[in-house]
Amino acid sequence: MLTSRGGRWTMLLWVAPAVLLLLVFVYFPVVDNLRLSMFRWNAFSPSEQWVGLDNYTALAADPIFWSSLFNNVAYAIVSVVFQVGGGLVLAAVLEELVRGRLKGILRTVYFIPAVLSLTITGLLFQFMYNPQIGLVNGLLDVVGLDSWKHSWLGESATAIWAIIAMSQWQSIGYVAVLFIVAMQRIPRELYEAAYIDGATRAQAFVRITVPLVREMTLLAMIITVSGAFLVFNEVQVMTAGGPNNASHTLGTWLYKSAFFNDQMGYAAAIAVVIFVITVTAAIVQLFLGRGRAVQY
Amino acid sequence: MASTIARRLNVLKRGGDVASSFWQTVAYLLLAVLAVAIIYPLIWMALNGFKSNAELFGDPWGLPTTWRWENFEKAWSLGVVRYLANSIIVTGASVVSTVLFSSMAAYALTRHRIPLAGPITVLLLGGMMLAPTVALIPLFRLLQTLGIFDTYWALIILYTAFRIPFSVFLIRAYMITLSREIEDAAVVDGANRWQIFWLVVMPLSRPIIVSAGLLHALFSWNEFVFALVFINSGDLKTLPVGLLAMQGRVLSDWPVLFAALTMASIPMILLFLAGQRQFIRGLAEGIGK
Amino acid sequence: MTSAAGIRRLSQPLGVLIATVAIAVGACSGTASPTTAPASAGGASADPGATAAGQLEGSISFLHKYSDPRYAPYFEEVVAGYMAANPNVTIDIQAESDQGVKDKLRILAASNSLPDVYFSWAGDFTKKFVRGDLARDLTTDVTGEWASSFTPAALEAYTYDGKLYGVPITLDAKYLVYNKEMFAANNVSIPTTLEELLATCDTFKAAGVTDPITFGNVNGWPAIHFMTQLNPYYVPAETMSADYDPATGAFTDPGYQKALEAFADINTHCLSQGANGITHEAAQAQFLAGRSPMHYIEAVEFFALTEQGGAPADLANNWEFFKLPAPADAVGDTGYLTGAPDGFLVNPGSQHPEIAIDFLRYLTSIDNASKMVSDLGWLSPVQGSATAENTFEQNVRVIEDIATAEGMAIWLDTVTHIDVANAYLNGVQAMLDGTKTAADVVNDIQSAADKAKAETQ
Repeated sequence: MLTSRGGRWTMLLWVAPAVLLLLVFVYFPVVDNLRLSMFRWNAFSPSEQWVGLDNYTALAADPIFWSSLFNNVAYAIVSVVFQVGGGLVLAAVLEELVRGRLKGILRTVYFIPAVLSLTITGLLFQFMYNPQIGLVNGLLDVVGLDSWKHSWLGESATAIWAIIAMSQWQSIGYVAVLFIVAMQRIPRELYEAAYIDGATRAQAFVRITVPLVREMTLLAMIITVSGAFLVFNEVQVMTAGGPNNASHTLGTWLYKSAFFNDQMGYAAAIAVVIFVITVTAAIVQLFLGRGRAVQY
Repeated sequence: MASTIARRLNVLKRGGDVASSFWQTVAYLLLAVLAVAIIYPLIWMALNGFKSNAELFGDPWGLPTTWRWENFEKAWSLGVVRYLANSIIVTGASVVSTVLFSSMAAYALTRHRIPLAGPITVLLLGGMMLAPTVALIPLFRLLQTLGIFDTYWALIILYTAFRIPFSVFLIRAYMITLSREIEDAAVVDGANRWQIFWLVVMPLSRPIIVSAGLLHALFSWNEFVFALVFINSGDLKTLPVGLLAMQGRVLSDWPVLFAALTMASIPMILLFLAGQRQFIRGLAEGIGK
Repeated sequence: MTSAAGIRRLSQPLGVLIATVAIAVGACSGTASPTTAPASAGGASADPGATAAGQLEGSISFLHKYSDPRYAPYFEEVVAGYMAANPNVTIDIQAESDQGVKDKLRILAASNSLPDVYFSWAGDFTKKFVRGDLARDLTTDVTGEWASSFTPAALEAYTYDGKLYGVPITLDAKYLVYNKEMFAANNVSIPTTLEELLATCDTFKAAGVTDPITFGNVNGWPAIHFMTQLNPYYVPAETMSADYDPATGAFTDPGYQKALEAFADINTHCLSQGANGITHEAAQAQFLAGRSPMHYIEAVEFFALTEQGGAPADLANNWEFFKLPAPADAVGDTGYLTGAPDGFLVNPGSQHPEIAIDFLRYLTSIDNASKMVSDLGWLSPVQGSATAENTFEQNVRVIEDIATAEGMAIWLDTVTHIDVANAYLNGVQAMLDGTKTAADVVNDIQSAADKAKAETQ
């Protein structure tokens, strides 16, 4: 062990910057949130007013809080199905069926939306969903499905789903690449042996690929689910939570409560809820995934 | 036996029976549709930057009649150049600080038996579960107290703090697997810890460092919430927030906005295309472990 | 291998360089350098009325909501003119958008970084700054010649409990503009009652026009402006002003529901469908392109309909305006006109209130006000600033119309407490969507009013 000179304690200096930054800017705010959520205050109030758990009872009674939570859950479920599930299938198809340069090109193409800022894709899709000049309605026109046309971002019923759809467009390639990385570590011999035994591609996928990318699946799920509960950027840019607060997620509702509705204590309470949900989800997933290490 | 195997392998090589080539066609079709679905909106976005307002409203599908580069010039001067510069500054600085502090911490944790290693590791990695949005309101007041509200520092420090957990996770997982022979040799040669870190460990960790740096750059370049709330001066806005402000300004001149969006997309796309191999290799070596 | 090494080796000194630049820039980013603007062609002259101008020293920050590249240059020029006349003063401009300024102001207020001079709508929007001790009492600062240069109604709008808190710089009113050619082609005359308006819309629809009144409501306020005009028609004036005051708001008068139902009628007969997904500006493009005969806009937007403002020639000389007509059986006051001044407040914590006030005086001098009228086509509360010489004819008629209005109905979403405003904004969007009825919305408004009352006690 290289702890000869200077002693072990001076090594603490090496972790000090990281630890300090985290304590001050990441951990302290979490605690402070709890405190702030017990007050009623806003930008214009001369002083803070202690209200105990009132903000939380208001939260429980607030229909917009529940619809925001619902939107986040919907986001998570759809994202897991399309990004993790769809990404896995897409990766398998790319790996198995496509060869050479075409594979590299397709992989790049699918991945590009993921490097674009959510603001860019949000604004782009705002135009795509425009009822008059957008591509989505235009496409429906062209294929003769006029009756399916909607003001996608302008109707309470469709707004959040339109946003969720955009998110899948953006991220499916990213998750697929993660899976490709994992799949490339699977030895070819396993597949060859299976084919010789008469397995179809689909069976090989289910029996070999899926189990052996288990760790990556877990990672992808954690990323997707926590991302779904923290979503803010795309919603804020595309609808700012409207129409009529129908497309709010917890993140945007927090922002609106704090900086539009003049209720910062209430917003802090929302933040505490988001915190509890994301930490619980992460712990649960880690726990479930803590199985045997993948063995070839 | 051998002939059976050979026969079966031949069948497989020929692509199998009709059913499997049907599925293959279906698969190719889906891949193609997906590729179009992903690329076409981006092309549409770029083309729209060349149109005039009337063209955009009149014929959304069509090609521009004349190629109006002036839209791009206007977008550039309306602020895209400033927003790009700010994003570069903030991302560049925070990539350096994040990778540096994370590597130092990972090095200390994996190479030395420091006191409180356990709690410190949990602290650093546990930070991955804490999200920027959650910290918004308390940070508000904290930044005011520290006097860095509405400065580059606010973003640089915050981005570093919030990305250290993930970077430590990546770098640490990699460093754990490095063999110690070279380092032991260096110690024997009389090198101190700092030298060992810079001259031995870091070069050996190059793939994961690049990967961590690229991932951080991606996060920082696209970060929105903090940039929205903690930066007020128009001069300091980063790209995501600046683009949104632009949407509010050029309310009636949409081709200029499309031009801005197109120009804003290019740096990251180029960076990705150039660094693709490193990025994926780094991911493979880091996450795959 | 080498390329990766190359990246890393390159990124190290590059990183150091970037960090150094960041430190250097970050250190001075707090006090951004003053905005320099192109020298204006003789417009922004130094105000002779400004006292001992050259002696003022210091720097202030100035936040406005006119970041639109059509309007921002005017403010840059005025600021440049002021700084030229006061060489020891620097003014830092913060330009926001109309929608962006709404949350930006709150962020700034919450972080104790409100600029010295900042924009605020009239009504409870300003009142809440007053309640939070974030607006300076300007009663003793705006006096004498300066005070009497304004139309009294404009100062009224920023006066609370007898004290003046803001300096108005524009005058605005909301009208239906119409395309004369399309009206003539369909033998339609200007409707004088609400019922006639609905019939007019039907006529247009029968003739194949899809959106008789082009309308986009993404941010919610365009619909609220309709409500701002309809409420005074259906609710008696004193009841209405009592309800708009958060301390006494109840909204129990049946007229509020009737007003919402009237708007629902207008929506069915006249407005673009799916408007919650269309921006106000996109809707305006339809009017400019001659595809819709009517559009409900503010007088400050009239400029965009003129040739100088960039409208297509066949529209530019082809439009007129009228007030949204009242129903034939209106119980309220039909003399009310939707509109309000826009203005600026001064931060009581400002280090240089004297500069702030002097700058506002400069901004509202007759020269700069006239410049605003001719450059931007906006109307100013400074009397005499708009004449037939420096602005287009419709603007002159707007001034006359405002002068004859019995009262100004301030925008519903800024005149009321934010909770009531939100209830209206969200409720009306839901009505357009079909997910709520007028009765539902009234319920929401009433509970919001109760909540606001509790809060302002």
